[in-house]
This record gives sequence, C-alpha cells and structure tokens, in this order.
Amino acid sequence: MNRSGCESFCESIARRHFLRLGSLSLLGINLSKYLELSQFMASVENQTGSAKAQSCILLLLEGGPSQVDTWDPKPNSGFRPIGTNVAGIQISEILPRVANHMDKLAIIRSMTHEEVDHGLSRDYISSGHRPVPSMEFASLGSILAKELGSINDIPPYVLGAPHLKDRSLGAASLGAEYNPLLVPDPAKADFKLNDLTLPKSITEKRIQDRKGFLKVIDEIYRQKEKLVEAAARETFRDKALEMILSPTMKKAFDLSRESEKIKDAYGRYGFGQSALLARRLVEAGSRFVTAAGYNIDSGWDTHGKGSGGENDKKLRALLCPTLDQTLSTLLEDLDQRGLLESTIVIAMGEFGRTPEINPINGRDHWPFCWSMVIGGGGIKGGQVIGASDEKGGFVAERPVAVGDVFATIYKAMGIDWTKEYMTPVGRPIKIANSFDDTTGQPLKELI
Amino acid sequence: MFGILTENQSYFLKMMEVSKIIRLCRICLLLVLFNIPVSLWCKDFQIAGLNPDISGLMEMKLLPNKIHLLGKNSTQQVLVLGTDKEGLVRDLTKISSYSIIHPELARVDLKGKITALAGGQTFVKAEFQGQTITAKIWVNNENLKLPFDFSIKVGRILTKRGCNSVECHGSVGGKGGFKLSKNAGSPREDYRWITEGGTFHVLTTKTGKKIPRINIEQPAQSLLLLKPTTSVPHGGGERLQAESKDYQIMLDWIRAGAPYVKEPLKEVSVQVENLVAMPRQIVLKPGRTQQLLAVSYLANGLQEDVSNQVRYLSNNEEIVSVTVNGLLTGHGVGETEVQVLAPGHTASVTVGVISKAVISYPNVARHNFIDDYIFDKARKFHLVPSKLSTDSEFLRRVCLDLTGTIPPVSRVREFLDTSSPEKRTRLIKILLESPEFVDHWSWRFTDFLRAKNPIYKQWIHEAIGLNKPYDQLARERVAAQGFDGPSRHYEDMGGTAVPLPQNAMAEQVRVFLGQRLDCAQCHDHPYENWTQNQFWGLTAFFGRLSNLHPGFPQVDFVILDDPEGYGTFGKGAKVIHTRNKLEVQPQFLDGNMISENQHDDLRLALAEWMTSPENPYFSKAIVNRIWGYFFGRGIVDPVDDFRSNNLPTHPQLLNRLAQHFIRTGYDLRSLIGLIVGSRTYQLSGNANETNQHDQRNYSRALPRPLETELLLKAITHVTQVKGLNGNFFDVYQKPDLTSIPERDMSPSLNQALHQLAGSTYTTKLSQEESRMGRLLQENATDVAIIEELYLAALCRFPFKVEKVQLEKLLQAQDTRHKAIEDLVWGMINSEQFLNNH
Repeated sequence: MNRSGCESFCESIARRHFLRLGSLSLLGINLSKYLELSQFMASVENQTGSAKAQSCILLLLEGGPSQVDTWDPKPNSGFRPIGTNVAGIQISEILPRVANHMDKLAIIRSMTHEEVDHGLSRDYISSGHRPVPSMEFASLGSILAKELGSINDIPPYVLGAPHLKDRSLGAASLGAEYNPLLVPDPAKADFKLNDLTLPKSITEKRIQDRKGFLKVIDEIYRQKEKLVEAAARETFRDKALEMILSPTMKKAFDLSRESEKIKDAYGRYGFGQSALLARRLVEAGSRFVTAAGYNIDSGWDTHGKGSGGENDKKLRALLCPTLDQTLSTLLEDLDQRGLLESTIVIAMGEFGRTPEINPINGRDHWPFCWSMVIGGGGIKGGQVIGASDEKGGFVAERPVAVGDVFATIYKAMGIDWTKEYMTPVGRPIKIANSFDDTTGQPLKELI
Repeated sequence: MFGILTENQSYFLKMMEVSKIIRLCRICLLLVLFNIPVSLWCKDFQIAGLNPDISGLMEMKLLPNKIHLLGKNSTQQVLVLGTDKEGLVRDLTKISSYSIIHPELARVDLKGKITALAGGQTFVKAEFQGQTITAKIWVNNENLKLPFDFSIKVGRILTKRGCNSVECHGSVGGKGGFKLSKNAGSPREDYRWITEGGTFHVLTTKTGKKIPRINIEQPAQSLLLLKPTTSVPHGGGERLQAESKDYQIMLDWIRAGAPYVKEPLKEVSVQVENLVAMPRQIVLKPGRTQQLLAVSYLANGLQEDVSNQVRYLSNNEEIVSVTVNGLLTGHGVGETEVQVLAPGHTASVTVGVISKAVISYPNVARHNFIDDYIFDKARKFHLVPSKLSTDSEFLRRVCLDLTGTIPPVSRVREFLDTSSPEKRTRLIKILLESPEFVDHWSWRFTDFLRAKNPIYKQWIHEAIGLNKPYDQLARERVAAQGFDGPSRHYEDMGGTAVPLPQNAMAEQVRVFLGQRLDCAQCHDHPYENWTQNQFWGLTAFFGRLSNLHPGFPQVDFVILDDPEGYGTFGKGAKVIHTRNKLEVQPQFLDGNMISENQHDDLRLALAEWMTSPENPYFSKAIVNRIWGYFFGRGIVDPVDDFRSNNLPTHPQLLNRLAQHFIRTGYDLRSLIGLIVGSRTYQLSGNANETNQHDQRNYSRALPRPLETELLLKAITHVTQVKGLNGNFFDVYQKPDLTSIPERDMSPSLNQALHQLAGSTYTTKLSQEESRMGRLLQENATDVAIIEELYLAALCRFPFKVEKVQLEKLLQAQDTRHKAIEDLVWGMINSEQFLNNH
C-alpha cells in the first residue's frame, strides 16, 4: 500500500526536524512539502475539539419525497399542516409521530441542486459534487471512514442497500479500502451477510488448510516478485477472517438479538429493519450507515398512476406512515440508549417533487427546492433553516447545498471541513463542496 | 577549522592539492555561516570531487557545447562530463581545470564559470587528468544588455521562489488575497494583480478587493517586499532576504515607477524562445551528484545562463533530490524527472539511479522498432532486459491480452509440446483473427467508450469485428446524430436529458485526445496551458446538442443538433462562458475558428479536426492507451492524462507508434500485432540483477492485475462452473459506465471477505458438475490433478517441489473432494493467478 501523503510527509519532518527552515531546500525539503506543512497546520486549527458526534445514520428516502407533503407544508399540498412539539414549526399531518420529536430535528427547507435524474442526483447527494462523466467523487461515507477510521474493528461504512451501489456511494480515488460494506435487506427472512457468514462446510480449520495450499502455490513466485498488493491481500485476509469469526461482528449484525417488540416498533419492512440494523451497527462502532428500503415499488418516486403511484394516496397509505414510524422509533431508541448525543440522524431523498400535481395525480422530479431533516450528534433541533417560496417550488431564503450539510456533519464530528483531497492526477477535491465550487460551510444555527 | 573534520575526512585532505584546500576552507566557512552540518556536505564532496576511482576516462563532454554570450560581463557556467570505465557519466566540473584560448575575450574561473570581456570568438578548454575538451565561445560585439522586462525579471524572482506555484499564489484563486499566474505564464495579468491588486474569481470577472502589492510613494513599504521578507506576517514564511540581489531588483523596479518594460525596448531581443536543461539524461549511483544547467535561448540566437534563476523540482525525492541551485543527488534506485521552471517555460531532465553499472552489456535480440527504442534507453540506464519469456509465460499472457481468456488445458499442452520456432508468431496470428479477440477488444472499448446501451455496444462490437479504422470510429462517435449505436453514448452520460455541452465536450476530449480539460471549465487549467476560453470555445461545438422524445417505446431518444440551441426540446439556449457571461463561438484548441461551410454540422467539423493526421494528440492518445493495456502503464501514464508535467517515458517511441498508426490507416489490429510481436512484450517477468526495480522502462514484464470481468472469467475457466458468483461484481467493482472508469484492482477488505466466505470461492467450488467433479469421477491421481490445475490456471506444469508439497497437503485432508476444493481455492487466490505476468 502506498503511504498517504501525510504519513510520508510527517516522517520526513521527523527525520529532518533539526533543520531550520532557511536550509530546508538545501537538504531536499522542497517548497511543496513546506506548503503541505502550512496547510497541515491550518487544518489543525479548523478542527473543533468539542466534537460530539461519533457516527451518522442516513435514512435514504429513495425516489425523492415531496417537500410540500412532508417537511414544508404548503397550500398546494393535499395534506394539512399540523403543529409540532416546537412552537411555530409545522409539518404535514401525515407525519404525526415525528411532530412530537421536532425538538430533536432541524428542517432544512431550502436544499437545492440541478440534477433531475435519480442516479445522478443520488451521486450528487452522496458526494456533494455535481456528477461529471469524466471523473468519480468519493462519497461522504467513504470520507468519514477515511477520516475517522473504525472502532472495535467494525466496518466504518456500511451500506444497507446493495442495489444502491452507485458510483458515488463508493470511495473513488480514496482507495478500495474505504468502500462500503454492502448489506442486503435485513427484513428478508433469509437475511444473512453474504460474505460475513461462512457456509457450514467451511470451518476455521478449513480456511487454514486452504491458506496452506495457497502458500505452497505462491511461495516461489512471491520470492521473485515482491508485490505490495500480495502483502496487502494477506493482511486483509487475516482481518477478514478475524471479522468473520468475531463475536462482536456477529452480534452487531444479528438482528435476532433484538426483541420482537423493538422489531415491530421499527416496522417490519425493509426500511424499518434497515434502520434497526443501522442502530445496532452504530452502537457497535460504525461511522456511517445508510439505511434504505424504499427501492421497492418505486419508493418515493410518485409520478402518478402506473409510474410510481399516485402521490397523495401513496404518501398517506404507505410512505409517510412507514417514515413516521421508523424515524420516530429510531430517535426514541437512540435517545433511550444515550446514543442520540453521538449519532447524527438524517432523513433525505435525492431531490424533491414538483409543486404542482400532474394530470395523473403524481408529482415529478424537482431538484430546485426540497427539504430534509437532520438531528442528533450535537446538532441543534427544533428549528427551521431556509425557506421556500409560497408553493415550495423555489428557494426563497438561504439556499443550502448538500456540501453545506456535509460541512455541518464534519464539524459535528470534529473533521476539518475545508479539507481537500488530491486525486491521483493532482486535482484537488473539496470534501465539502458548496455552490460554484466554493467550500461548504457548516450551518451555524445547527452547530 | 579542521578540528571539526573527522578522521575519514582529513584523509582526503592529505590527498588534496593546495588550491583545493583553499577552496575547501572557503566552503567550510560558508557551511559554518549557513549552519549546515559539515558531515552532510563532506559526503557529497568526497563523492563528487575527490573520489579516486575516476580514472581511465573514456570520453569527455562539455556543456553547453556552443556558447553565445550577450556581451561584456555576461556569464555562462559550463559542465564537464566524463564517461568513466563503468560507462557512467560523471560530473567533473568542480575538479577540472579551465583556460580560455584568447584571454582578452573572456575569462574562466576555477569552477568553470565564463565571463565575457570583449566581442569576438574564442574557445574554452577544460582539462582533467590529461584529457581535454573545448567548446566555442561567441561574444557579441554590440555589448547587448537585456533591457528590463517585468515578465522576465520579476517573473523569475517569483518563479524561483515558488511564489506563483499552484500550491501558493499561483493557485486558482490565489492565496491570502494575492493572485499570480502559474509560473508567470500570464505576465500581463500578473502585472495587473501586482500593481492594481484583486484576485481571480471563478464565476465572475470581478476581482474582489483591490489592494496594490506595490507602493510607488514608499517603495520599501510595498507588500511585494514586506511579505516575502516577513516584515509583515506572511503565510508562506520567508521567501526573500532583504538586501539580497533579487530584493534590490524589485525595489529598484518599484522606485522606477513599476513599468512593465523600460524604454527603449527592442522587444524581440529579450523574447525567450526556449528553455533547455542539461544534461538531459542522467544516470547516477546512490550518493553521487550532478549539477544541472538551465539555459534560456533568446529569439536573436543568443543565450543566457539562468541556472541560478529557475526553480528545480524533483518528481520523486526518494529517487533523486535537488537543491535550489540545481545540484542533484541520487538516492533510491529508480527513474524520475526533475522539472526546471522558469517564467512561462518549463524543461525537465530524466534521472535514473542505479545500484550497479553494467560493464559488459549483453547483446539483446530485437524483433521490431519498438525494441529499438526500449532497449536503447535501457542500455543508457544500465538496465539489462530480462530473458525471453518461457512458452508458458508467453502463452498465458498473450491469450489473456488478446482474448481475455486462459486457453483450455489441451491447447496449453499442445503449445508447450510444439517446438516450431514460428509458433509464437503463428499463435499471435490465430488469436488476432479469433472471434474471442473481437469479443475481448469490444469489451475493452466498451469500457473507455462508456457503452451501457446494447445498441451502442453492438456498434462497438461491429467496429472491432470489421477492424474499422479508428479515426472513422471516433468521427462517428463525436458527430453522431439520430438514434443508432454511437449516438446512444450521449444518453448514458446524462441520465434522461442530453448531457451539458461542457460535459459532452470534456468527455470526448479525454477519450480521444487524452487530455483532462475539466479544470479549465471554471478557470485556466492550473497545471496546464489550457485556458478557460479554449475550454468554452471547444464546448461551443456541442452547443446545439439536443434530443427528441418521439414517444415510441423503442426509440425514446434521438440525438440531433438543433440550430435553436442546446436542450431537450430546443430551448434556444446558447453556450455561455461561465465567467464573462458572453456567448461563445466554436473554436478549435489551436485557436482556429471554423469556416463558413462547417457551420451546418458543428460536431462533424470538430470530429474532423480531432481525427486529422495533423492533430497532435489524437493518434498518440490511442496508441498510448493501447500500449497501456499490454504493459500496465502508458508511455504517458495515466493513459489519458497528457500534460506538460506528465511526460512520456519514451517520447520518440510514442511519436513513432503514432506515425506508424496513421500510416497504416488507423489499423488497431495491426498496432496490437506489432506490440505483442515485439521482444519487449515477450520478455520474461523474472528480474535480473539490473532491472528488479525497473517500473517504467519495460526491461521486464511486470505483473498486471486481471480486471474484474477477466478475473471472474478465469475463475469460471478453472472451475468450469458458471454462475454462483454472489456479489463478486460488487466487491471487485465492475465500473458503472456513467463516467470514464478508472479501474482499481487494489486489494480490499470486501474482497477478502468474499474470498473466504463468498459463494464464488465456496459454493462455486463445491459443485459436482465441475472440473473438480470430473477429476474425482475419473479417479485421477493427485499428480494428475495438480498438473491439470496448474495448466488450467497458470498454463504451466508444477515445479517438482510444488508437486511434492501439494501432494502431501492433498493426502492430509479428510476427504478427497474437500482436498481438491481447497487446492483450487489456493490456486485461484494465488498472486500468479490474479495477475497477468
């Protein structure tokens, strides 16, 4: 494995720290190394010592929920607004339970981007960068995995929806080690972690036997060819075996350890069980877990009859009740376990929906103004950020980029949000990217 | 003074002549003044200067070999190089003695620095151990003195100190409110940033707060001087010493009113035409040193020694380091470039560090012109190419490269049994004409041409099958209209809408010209000379890209150029420059506008420009890409990142391949045949003493990981079980082709988990209907099983020691089927299997 820039840099500083700056270049520390130092110093300054958040759960509302029918009630919604446990904040009547947890959540009503396609928009909200055909961007989960590492050897980035394995949910140029661990739908009866569960015929002893064969086959070749990859593969294999055999891991993924009562409370559907698994993983040490489950029957993609279903009907009958139940339960559960202070919870889709109902009682894609909620992990709930116009169609106040939300999360987790990563060809990529390629800024009301 | 020297160093003192002792004293004084540990320096001195092993020199050289001096007092440092008995070029500059034939015209000091005294022609002579070498000197009669020019004088000061590097004020938005162009590439703009202030803003032409960096009333109070001397706090630390010569130059310039040029000016006389760094190719042993020279060649034929006025940067400090004054020191074995930066110009030298010189270099057979370029360079860098690959090595490699598959066991046996000397050539011919070749190379092209749509894939398959000339393929793709194959790639790029014109353009340019222009979308490319205007000029060719939704289920997407402008239904939009918000007209990268009759079909006009034989990038980009598939790295690497500071390792070979490709009518198959026919391609992977560290000179075959799809095919070939692959594609990452894939086969935890517990490596292996099942049923002996699996997976017979050990392991297992499964598991997880080598 290549050493990261910082490591080799830090080493070189340690090796040569006795030198005064004036003679640096005489002995090989060039200007760019020196500048790295100053950037490194600056990045230390931007870190916050009082970070509360340790992990983050993203409830992904695939398909894109209608903002006016959920977090940003408007007259052009088919639903009435209701009050919440925070004076002055109203949400849609079909989220009655969440209304009682409004003190824990902040609503952002002025999210905006420019992609209308599901895949591209998902790329956009995962990486904070507008997708371009000529390069890939690392996802938030991969960045957190890289920045924070793992606790108790639990995989730091888990994606509870393998069907979502879009390009921008991965690590791009950060390296394959920061790719998410993919977990299938935990609501299914035959749920098991494909690659974390050994088939009956394979015992630990058998794996050792297999490694014995491998060793003989590779011995001569590896003496000739000193491949760093070979050593890395070996390390990963040891680590993988440890993981497969680890009781902590097994426990973290073992939903049967949850009571029937709590399973019911989260909801006996993919999204609910996925959220429950996310809580277990966060408890065990994961950093970023995406809980999904709205990939069936077009999820929130309510274009109208036959193509995603009629908006109002589907929202009332299926989508909002499940979101209401799962999100409320998750917040309560985290709170009771004392995890809410250290866990950021986000519920968002890839975009919003048209303010007007279309001729077949649907709403179509709408990235220009949409809403999301965020809470936990030290983020101040009970407030509304930004505002949309009278129909919820355009941002009226304070446009917020996905990258600004990222910056908020980074700040909550004690990561310098102004950081940039270099791609292998030397293009700097902001980890929080706001409008017009500016650096995303934390939403100051939230943190 | 001598008290601080160690015993070892004083040994050398005894051996020195008096003049050298005096010189050493002078240097020691300097060392003390600058607080440099003497031991560090002396190591250098010992190797560079006084090493007694420089005897029996074969050849001497003096650089520059022609010296045109501007006039009285102008100077030029020379380098004296000598080839020692090991064939290595040594820097003799500090230990040679010098003289001038006509001392009234010029003088030369002890270190080889020439100073002009009067107009005329003469020679400089260098002498070392009785051997001499001379170079001609012309001293200009007119006594030219270069007039002051901001772009050169101030540009050099800023460039040498890295002030205008991309890490500093040369970054897109500048730093700390002060913007400079990268390496003083745009001096007129720099002049404005310095004299007026302001910084670059990506999306508007406004410059933000304007704080002039100079103060005409109180020149010494100029920020341009206060900051780098840290008289006021400076994020970049001290860059300039007050009282230094450069400080004085800038102060004088400001005092004179900070003019761009000083009258009278014959502008042509100072125009720098070319920057040359020398020596161009350098081979060092670890610890040895070599001084670099940098010479500016001016438009009037004269030259200027700028060795002390440029910035030196090593691309890999673990191989070679370089001081501010251009002294190289070799460290770790390998090869890299050292860049030399001057305002508006860059040059570079290639440095190889070797552990041992090859004194009697063997004669290496050559198959075609590829080998000439590769082996000639290898010779220079003391790398002896490995032996010719074994038949097993060659067979597996060439089959994987040409057809993406490992041959069946029967074919392997057949090939290994044949003793015809022509068998490799014959095999190549057969493979090139096989349907598997078409499938495999269609897949390769599907990858970088990003084909998801089946109609588009089909079009690629046909193009490869017919060996369609590559320029034609490119034209058809760029200019595609309608709803047939090539037009479909516009669909895959942008989801449901047509791609934005700038995205469509950047993609075509990266695919076909090997350049990454994206950065230039918002600002001039920070590492390159691409400007934002060029980016938008090229984008304008895609300004009419539109699609129709006719509403038929089969044809939901028709690409056309709508004269009304870009958009889904022809919204009449125009391509607007991001910053100045003006409409952009189509313009080629070389600055030419399109002609009147090209207006009807803009993308075709662009396609014709891109694919013309005169286009400097098109052919090089594809031959480099194809080369990369066979060697694991491009001659320019990454293969689609041609840049002035990402240089080819073998520039002449790249040119020659491109010319060859054009001459053969853009014939992909013949290019591929040429590559696999070369001895370079057919070298063994086994390193010898000289080339084990070689990563970029192709002196041996390096292992290349099998890509996801090929790996799975190979596993299926060994097991003879289709399917049951679980989430193989997830953990090994099959690229989603929405963007140009950068395949990364580096190991990961997900892969390791899959290798232990995933179905590809468990269930797939325990199937009855499989190679393993058949071997069991046939009651094959252990030896037969081992042999067949080796032939199936690695195209070779097991070595005896492998056979013996594996037999033992097979015997030790409880059941036979378990034993075989475990053997197969070991086989398909081995490094030999995972790599093409």
